[in-house]
Amino acid sequence: MYGSASTHDIPTQATTGLENEDPILLAEFEARIARGEKIEPTDWMPQLYRKQLTRMIEQHAHSEIIGSLPEGTWITRAPGFRRKMAQMAKVQDEVGHAQLLYSAAETLGKTREQMLSDLVNGKSKYSNVFNYPTPTWADSNVISWLIDAGAIVNQMANAKGSYGPYCRALDRICAEEAFHLKYGHDAVVHMATGTPIQRKMMQEALNRWWPAIMTFFGPSDKMSTHTEILMRWKVKMATNDACRQQFLDMYVPKIWEIGLTLPDANLRKNEDGVWEFSEPDWEDFKRVINGDGPCNAERIAVRRAAEENGAWVRRAMQQPKAQYVRPLA
Amino acid sequence: MLFSFDPRISRLELPEAPSLPTDKVALDQFPTYEVFHQRKENAAYAYVGPVHAPEADVAFLFGKEQFSRRFPCTGMWVVLTSNIRVTEYGDDQQSVYDRLPLLPADELGTADAADLEAYDIFHLKKRGKAHAHVGQVQAASPEAALQAAKAAFGDQRPVVNVWVVRSADLLRSDEADRDMWTTTPDKKYREAIAYKVQDRIDRFKQEG
Amino acid sequence: MDPKLDLLYRLADDQLILGHRNSEWNGLGPILEEDIAFSSMAQDKLGHSLQLYMLLHELGEAEPDTVAFTRNTPQFHCCQLTELPIGEYDFSLIRHFLFDHAELLRFEALADSSYEPLALVARKVKGELKYHVLHANTWVKRLGTATEEAITRMQAALEFTLPYALGIFETTEAEPEIISSGLFIGEMELQRRWEESISKVLAQTALTLPDLRLLTPVSGGRYGQHTEHLQPLLDEMAEVFRLDPTADW
Ligand SMILES: [Fe+2]
Ligand SMILES: [Fe+2]
Ligand SMILES: [Fe+2]
Repeated sequence: MYGSASTHDIPTQATTGLENEDPILLAEFEARIARGEKIEPTDWMPQLYRKQLTRMIEQHAHSEIIGSLPEGTWITRAPGFRRKMAQMAKVQDEVGHAQLLYSAAETLGKTREQMLSDLVNGKSKYSNVFNYPTPTWADSNVISWLIDAGAIVNQMANAKGSYGPYCRALDRICAEEAFHLKYGHDAVVHMATGTPIQRKMMQEALNRWWPAIMTFFGPSDKMSTHTEILMRWKVKMATNDACRQQFLDMYVPKIWEIGLTLPDANLRKNEDGVWEFSEPDWEDFKRVINGDGPCNAERIAVRRAAEENGAWVRRAMQQPKAQYVRPLA
Repeated sequence: MLFSFDPRISRLELPEAPSLPTDKVALDQFPTYEVFHQRKENAAYAYVGPVHAPEADVAFLFGKEQFSRRFPCTGMWVVLTSNIRVTEYGDDQQSVYDRLPLLPADELGTADAADLEAYDIFHLKKRGKAHAHVGQVQAASPEAALQAAKAAFGDQRPVVNVWVVRSADLLRSDEADRDMWTTTPDKKYREAIAYKVQDRIDRFKQEG
Repeated sequence: MDPKLDLLYRLADDQLILGHRNSEWNGLGPILEEDIAFSSMAQDKLGHSLQLYMLLHELGEAEPDTVAFTRNTPQFHCCQLTELPIGEYDFSLIRHFLFDHAELLRFEALADSSYEPLALVARKVKGELKYHVLHANTWVKRLGTATEEAITRMQAALEFTLPYALGIFETTEAEPEIISSGLFIGEMELQRRWEESISKVLAQTALTLPDLRLLTPVSGGRYGQHTEHLQPLLDEMAEVFRLDPTADW
């Protein structure tokens, strides 16, 4: 799941560095993108393109592997075979997505181990929503349906981007996500239309998650030169606001139709088709993304434990003469 | 001890404060293998993506689950990434073969049949799509194989990029291993189509 | 107990419990790709247990969900090997190796069972189990010939696990009838094939297989005697169900 706009850090430095790029190569590169052709790993590309894509795909990959944890915890507890098998398969897919995305990022020159190292050392970010816990089964269902839904909005947009390996990974990911979305919806509907206990559980989980969901796409974009360039290069495919609007339009009606409410009195669709809502608490969002959320420490600790516990296995499997070569595509 | 809602994590008994950051050792980095799969009987093998693995047999184990668990599959090939000879990338609509310089015969190695080996050729038809297998040629080197590929498949277009792999470097699933994939289509629980909930929603609205 | 029920419960409970245990690695594996592979095999195990509980249901037992998620420790017939916590990867791999070799041989034999519905299931999952064993063998061969650290770990895990693995073959009172009615070849014959099969693989490593005759099998599982680890897992498995037993989840 988990598109990358949710970590939304387009570089803020004053210059784009474009003045240092070869103007002829740059023009060819831009012409290729304008023609609708994809960029492949061995093509010439501007530094800014490489840097921004690496960061974006890497954060997307981190979000998948970290995102496997809040749902992974519910595998053993999932009620009944049907849910259990699906929950396992879904969490497995998320780990698989991480693998696909790390591979795509590797084609840009950063090794997977370096990315994993940066993750466990707190040097890179992942989608902020995974810094919140899933205290009940209903919370897990909310992620399966609505966080995945948000991610799909992002991923469908990004799949039309300009970088070949990222598109290839996203095509596969989107195909798998179709199941996540249906499964999550199915589980939420069962609870929302179920017994009073189930309804209450689901409503409470939704109330807990809604503020985080509203921050999922990040704050409104500041329309900087950077943003414009990245959109022209088809690195950033839609503004955060456009994604949020699309998400609300697709899913709020589906939430309401099963009798659930959303904890925002200002949420409504205007006559012009635009959704209105209370501005999310971006100060709190910043606080959490910078490490002070309920689960930040645990997420990193768990990843680090997985790394450390697995180190002997990787040491033993390593062939001394083996040379790492980054994937081709 | 770290408190967690996750019983699995509680069982790991992690310390409250994480240990000092440790950079991963470079050693951890395995080589990469590129994986190709066959979607159905007689279909061309197509590129699906890479795996990290210490050796080809492990790459096969990994590739099988990462790339063939969700969709029908009848066979799989893996090859060490560094064993793939890659041409430059052309524009969509063109053929990179057109830009391939014809090598003089003496640079292509001997024409001695004993030195010839099979090479597998993969084409990329469009940027952003996946390489697909087009066939085999006999040649004495990867460069010669590329020339032979141009002769054999050069009339196909567009060809944005070509991969050349010595056939002996490909680890291929056995015919006898096909049954490893027989139950994949039965695993309906991981398909969107298995979740039909509209009736329940309609009933709920009616009872509303 | 009816020999069919007796056999089915043992098989289904083994798969259910080990499937749950192995699923705990989901997201925590030593290598991303291995995480995915191990999860697939855990899913397969749960899938097998479901198919077996469905056979039990056809024979008059309760629904699979009820049978799987509402019984308590004394009603479980899994061997104790399956219920041990996942520990470190050396243990989980060795358990997977020892159990899945037995499982493959068991289902190969069951493909000829006189009980046709079970034979059908067995024939169907043969390919899956082939992958499981290929996976287990590849890892055991690699780690069992790798660094001194890995060999020491794998040897220790093997020695710790073997007595539990012998518990796979614990028989019940129904055993003579199971064999005479052609349901199954019997645990003794299975164990003989299993020893041969694991020995062949271990012989290609630096690991040594202790003399199994000198080991005391950890038994009791088939009669509902279990370690202290099973009930907490069963509680976990039933946690959501118990919140509202009338609910459809
Ligand atoms: Fe995902
Ligand atoms: Fe997902
Ligand atoms: Fe198995």
